[in-house]
Amino acid sequence: MGLGVILMELLTPFFELFLPIIPGDVFPYFFGETVRGYPVLSLQRALIAAIAMAIVAGYLGNFLLLQNLALIGDGLAHVSFGAVAIAWVILGASEQPLPYTLAITSICAILIHELQYRGILTGDASIAIFMTGMLGLGLVILRIGKVPLLDFEDYLFGDIYTITEWQLDFIVLALLFSMIILVLIRPALLAMIIDPVSARVQGIPTRAIGLVFSVISAVVIVSMVKIIGALLVTALLVTPAATAQLISRSFKSCLLWTHFFGLISVLVGLFLSAEMGTGGGSMIAVVAATIFAITAIAKTSVGAYSKFKHGHN
Amino acid sequence: MQPIHLRVTGQQILKIENLSVRRSGKTVIKDINLNINRGEFVGVVGPNGSGKSTLLLAIVGALKLNSGSIRIYGHPPLSGQLMGRIGWVSQAASHLPKHVRISVRELVSLGTLSPKTAFCLTDQERVRKAIQMVDLEDVQDVDVSRLSGGQRQRAVIARALASESEFILLDEPLVGIDRDSRNSLLKLLDNLCHEENKTILMVSHDLTAIRQTAHRMVFLEETIRFDGPTDQFPDLDVLAELRGIDPSSSCIEVDSMEE
Repeated sequence: MGLGVILMELLTPFFELFLPIIPGDVFPYFFGETVRGYPVLSLQRALIAAIAMAIVAGYLGNFLLLQNLALIGDGLAHVSFGAVAIAWVILGASEQPLPYTLAITSICAILIHELQYRGILTGDASIAIFMTGMLGLGLVILRIGKVPLLDFEDYLFGDIYTITEWQLDFIVLALLFSMIILVLIRPALLAMIIDPVSARVQGIPTRAIGLVFSVISAVVIVSMVKIIGALLVTALLVTPAATAQLISRSFKSCLLWTHFFGLISVLVGLFLSAEMGTGGGSMIAVVAATIFAITAIAKTSVGAYSKFKHGHN
Repeated sequence: MQPIHLRVTGQQILKIENLSVRRSGKTVIKDINLNINRGEFVGVVGPNGSGKSTLLLAIVGALKLNSGSIRIYGHPPLSGQLMGRIGWVSQAASHLPKHVRISVRELVSLGTLSPKTAFCLTDQERVRKAIQMVDLEDVQDVDVSRLSGGQRQRAVIARALASESEFILLDEPLVGIDRDSRNSLLKLLDNLCHEENKTILMVSHDLTAIRQTAHRMVFLEETIRFDGPTDQFPDLDVLAELRGIDPSSSCIEVDSMEE
């Protein structure tokens, strides 16, 4: 029994408390509602994985936005698609491609970081090259290996409802590991983002921290790909953090708001997708973007109103 | 005028020998020698592009040297023994990107990070003291981007103070701040030097400001054209002669014309 299953067993009694107030026909199964005495474990696993993902992805997303690296989420997700293809066809790991995917994606993340750090390529260019190169490679390998793209749809668009015990354990372990490392390097990372020279003068190993951060980004993204889909990873990575940035005034409050928006996106997204029978990842993405739009409009209107009021006083 | 020579008795903190630095193929600093002792307040002046900022970046170890050596407390830049002993107040830190939301206290507390504490934020007392020293207690929970230019500069100085560094380097700290903030900032630096016994190396193109506060002035234009007590700093026309140019073609920008 792995970490994910343990976490699920710990949280299920807590989730069951909410059962009386959970709306919908399907949504209560996520919280432990039983069918003829049997819980629907795959849906409970989906909820645990989605919540863990929202928390860790939001935390990481804040640091990505601070560094203007919103694209790296998308970039590494596409890289991971190519990596799954390599693991599946060349390494023969069609059952459990995630560990290989993780290794290959981490290597690419390190290479992207090094290209930027050494000034060989500036800005997003190295992300663009790896993203398209690995996606192309993935498609070529699938065609050569005669794997129908349909088998791969899960990795492109995500499939939260067929998550296995093994996958949940892997995802929870990877996310927990990433979260611990991120919390540990958080102050140093922040110092580095604000002023790299000051950080180095203070003795912060900026290069090592940059590399660790790249690898952690890869770990978080790879663990999300199966659930939310390579094409939609950015929805949980960047959108809640961007929404939080609209309304928060300090780094700490930004993190809290990010988690709030992330969790709301996940819960509302899962509810709507379960009740309407749509894909989980895509609905989460739609909800996250909608929350962003509402917040942005509200902020602009409040700003315009107070300006208008101010002008009349 | 300050009795400068009395103060210049401390231990040698910075020793630069025959330093040359090239940046993008162009020689910016050529063969300079500079020593700074504990407790000194040294102001480096010079026209735009004269190598002032390059000199500071070389001292903190952010640039590759072409020749010569830099020793701080006897160690090369970025060596382990220097961690936490140098405070760097850069132009970059006071011009934080708008999307970076960070409160004054959060910014200042970053100064306490060090390898000794495994980069954890621990010493809140030092943070409190540093904020008090720069007189920003009222706005310590305010987002740095909402502060005035002068307050922001103070916040960045507090970050350097929180590391308890003894040697503080400032790169153009007076740019973009109003006259009152400028004067109180200069007073703060003067206090740090005299009461907290910090050694200060400040780069600015504000000649008047440096004259008001520094004990010793260095005029840099690729090489050091003048290095001596502030009261002996030459007039502008003598300076022009030192630089080998016509005195009528104005040289240093004097931003603040007060006093």
